[in-house]
Amino acid sequence: MSTELIRNFSIIAHIDHGKSTLADRIMELTGLVSNREAKAQLLDDMDIERERGITIKASAVTMNYEHAGKTYMLNLIDTPGHVDFHYEVSRALTACEGALLVVDATQGVQAQTVANAYLATEAGAEIIGVINKVDLPSAQPDITAEEIEHVLGIRKQDCFHISAKSGLGVRELLDAVVTLLPPPPDDGDKPTAALVFDSECDDYRGVICYVRVFSGELKVKQKIRFMGVGRTHLITELGKFTPKMSPVERLSAGEVGYVIANVRKLSDVTIGDTITDDANPTEKPLPGYVPPMQMVFSDFYPGNNTDYPNLRLAFDKLALNDASFSFIPQNSPALGFGFRCGFLGLLHMEIVQERLERENNIEVVQTAPTVSYEVLTTDGKTTKIDSPADLPDVSTIEELREPFVRLEIITTTDTIGGIMQLSESRRCKLIKTDYLSQNRVMMEYKAPLAEIVYDFYDLLKGISHGYATMDYEFTGFEVGDLVKINILVNKIPVDALSLIVHRSTAENRGRKMLVRLRKAIPRHQFEIPLQVAIGGKIIARESIKPFRKDVTAKLYGGDVTRKMKVLKRQREGKKRMKNIGAVEIPQDAFMSILDSSD
Amino acid sequence: MAGLYVHIPFCEAKCRYCGFYSEPIKNHAPERLVSAILRELGQYDHIEAFQTVYIGGGSPSCLPAKQLLRLIGEITGRWPKPEEFTIEVNPGQVNKDILSRLHTAGINRLSIGAQSFNPDELTFLGRRHSVGDIGRAVEMARQAGFENIGLDLIFAIPPSTLESWKYSLRSAINLGVQHISAYALTYEEGTPLQKAVETGEVTPLDEETDRQMYETTIDELEKAGFKQYEISNFAKPGFECKHNLNYWRNLPYLGIGPAAGSYWQGNRTLNIADIKKYIDGVEQGSTVTDESETPDNTQIACETAVLNLRRRCGIILDEFEKQTGFDAMKLFAEPIGRYRELGLIEAAEGRLFLTRDALPIADSVLCDFSTT
Repeated sequence: MSTELIRNFSIIAHIDHGKSTLADRIMELTGLVSNREAKAQLLDDMDIERERGITIKASAVTMNYEHAGKTYMLNLIDTPGHVDFHYEVSRALTACEGALLVVDATQGVQAQTVANAYLATEAGAEIIGVINKVDLPSAQPDITAEEIEHVLGIRKQDCFHISAKSGLGVRELLDAVVTLLPPPPDDGDKPTAALVFDSECDDYRGVICYVRVFSGELKVKQKIRFMGVGRTHLITELGKFTPKMSPVERLSAGEVGYVIANVRKLSDVTIGDTITDDANPTEKPLPGYVPPMQMVFSDFYPGNNTDYPNLRLAFDKLALNDASFSFIPQNSPALGFGFRCGFLGLLHMEIVQERLERENNIEVVQTAPTVSYEVLTTDGKTTKIDSPADLPDVSTIEELREPFVRLEIITTTDTIGGIMQLSESRRCKLIKTDYLSQNRVMMEYKAPLAEIVYDFYDLLKGISHGYATMDYEFTGFEVGDLVKINILVNKIPVDALSLIVHRSTAENRGRKMLVRLRKAIPRHQFEIPLQVAIGGKIIARESIKPFRKDVTAKLYGGDVTRKMKVLKRQREGKKRMKNIGAVEIPQDAFMSILDSSD
Repeated sequence: MAGLYVHIPFCEAKCRYCGFYSEPIKNHAPERLVSAILRELGQYDHIEAFQTVYIGGGSPSCLPAKQLLRLIGEITGRWPKPEEFTIEVNPGQVNKDILSRLHTAGINRLSIGAQSFNPDELTFLGRRHSVGDIGRAVEMARQAGFENIGLDLIFAIPPSTLESWKYSLRSAINLGVQHISAYALTYEEGTPLQKAVETGEVTPLDEETDRQMYETTIDELEKAGFKQYEISNFAKPGFECKHNLNYWRNLPYLGIGPAAGSYWQGNRTLNIADIKKYIDGVEQGSTVTDESETPDNTQIACETAVLNLRRRCGIILDEFEKQTGFDAMKLFAEPIGRYRELGLIEAAEGRLFLTRDALPIADSVLCDFSTT
């Protein structure tokens, strides 16, 4: 088959702008699925995704489409829609020649619209502007078109006006996919090079790699090499998603499909890796491969009714389906044995945490998330640390560097003041302001990741009455005037409560942490001093007064059974906490120190 | 050692703080209940002896004299001269005549529900007696021949103050009684008082005052020659309540009557808390047990520890091991270690006991002995 009749494309959009609905409609139009044959929004196959209205994992479907008497093969590659998954989005876009950029006509251009458009351009994909939900009464397709033209440089008269829900304009859009998007290059005679743009793990068949063949071809029983990780495997099955898995004998240049090759663990495959023929390899791997980079770290310790081996088992299981989070054993003097886990971002962390609890019925004590830091020590060595507890002695630190991001916020003009105030309080530096239209603006900041990683997004939403959207991308490490805050509970330093913060905010942060801890730790049989220390110096203190009365007045014969039950319940309550010396700390206290509400 | 408890679930009217099972006597036929109680008791005719007998309630003193004496007569007829035979009475429900007849019938200990010597506190509790009734009841009891009289008092009643509580304590001491039980007011689930707290109509006394009242109780009563032998109980030497000591030793006892609890042949049971169902059950010869539990050996050890530790003498280690088969120091090594360090538990002279500091917060310590 000539590549002339192949079109590879993605749909990219801000959350809830209608990406999945459009995908459904396209699959209906091409006869791939009958109306509502499968579950709503076929491409999303995890519960959490559906609940959050986002897509975690990319998938791909292959469809046939008749146009001007010819049958085209359309490969629709789905992309995740959240800031944490930039890299995955960029890989999926690299596998395409074109992208449909969907913008909700009632919402206009949003932060992830812009971020996705940039990624598509970087990946060299042709962009078709699509204005969705034009049939809604509150739709403003003309203003949206102007925003698209202004921010993304796509001419407003070239945008397609559709309603993915009703199907309005979707056929015309598909015709445009065929006529406007370029076919893949015809490189069938070159050595094999296929891009792994996603993978997942099946209990029975092992790892399934989603691939786009750029040159040469893949055949069943072929011995292939993953160039990045350097492993070789024998292909046992090739196929396409239609949307069910349909095996084929070969995947030719320009095609998209899946590869099964006896790969057991998801961690043996990295997204962005290049597959080549082991006997006749391509000279250079496809460009753009970066190992997954964890930006947010948090310790997970076994909670109530969970023990360390069970937690380890649950992590092993999770890792099978998510190669982008890491976990390494960690031993905290205060909390015992647990794991230091790395995530792409905060949402990714929440997803892992939810899956742990939901799929494995496991309770964890989680420490406040932190970013990773670079430390230059006096001996000239640079190391990365991802836990405040690992920070070396201050006297040996030459430089402490923190990660910075380019932060884009799109909001309405009346909320600029509030957002600027918030951003300044978080050490964010305004780089530029760009008016998208009369009442909407895009602000670009240079921001320390640590300051926006926890509650920034929630605060932003609050200030902007839900209108503002944001997206960020890691830009590099920079030196900062950073200090470590230590918390002492009953005179014992609790490593799991320590934080690295900017010196200018250290004292204020420390005091706030104490107030929150005082509320989070229940009263004990004795007074508990709480202290904040920077270096060796105590900068603030609080105390939790003991309870003064806790005794059953009457306990005689008939009450024994009932009273024993009450006492056991009281004991269970204590067991749900973590012991730091003689102090019992509830699990949520470890997260509460970051809570910004007063 | 075994005790016999008889529950009389009648009251003239229910006090609003009371969580025990009782009903207004006017709705029932007392003689039918006493007959049923005697019939239930009849099943235990083969028991050789009860060292102690305790008739409690409700208000046993609101039974017609004839029924009360009939009940006592039947008990002493079968098990003559128990070491200690107590009956609970309400100050407003006794006179010289009935007290003499009770004494003659074999009752040798009176427990009088005084609760408070401050009229506003009695009103708050919904008690129907007056402050004057208390003194009169004690005096009449003494004249009737009673030499072992106990008063129940309640502190931390919302209208009370530290001063008003001291006044109640001193009044009780001045009456020359041998035994005083002092309970902090408890907001029992399902009582009108607890509902009043929920609606905000009543605000419980603050914790600190409650604590001070309790500390004062211990100090004042010890000064007056009472020895604290349990968290809420104080007695002149030799006048500790033997029947209740039996509970805290976790030894067997038989409970008869509606809602009565038993610990008998290794089973903890509760009788039906419903007068009519109880009477029907007994009359038809069917079981009147509502709940039953058979604690295993570890559970028995935990219960014994919790109950023992409520005594000032605490756990007597060799007695505990003989009784339960466990070495308490080993079985509870973890909490013992922790609480000794905090100064809440001490071990000395073959005993393990709560320190004075631990008494006001005993539950927070004892809960760690409730399971192993």
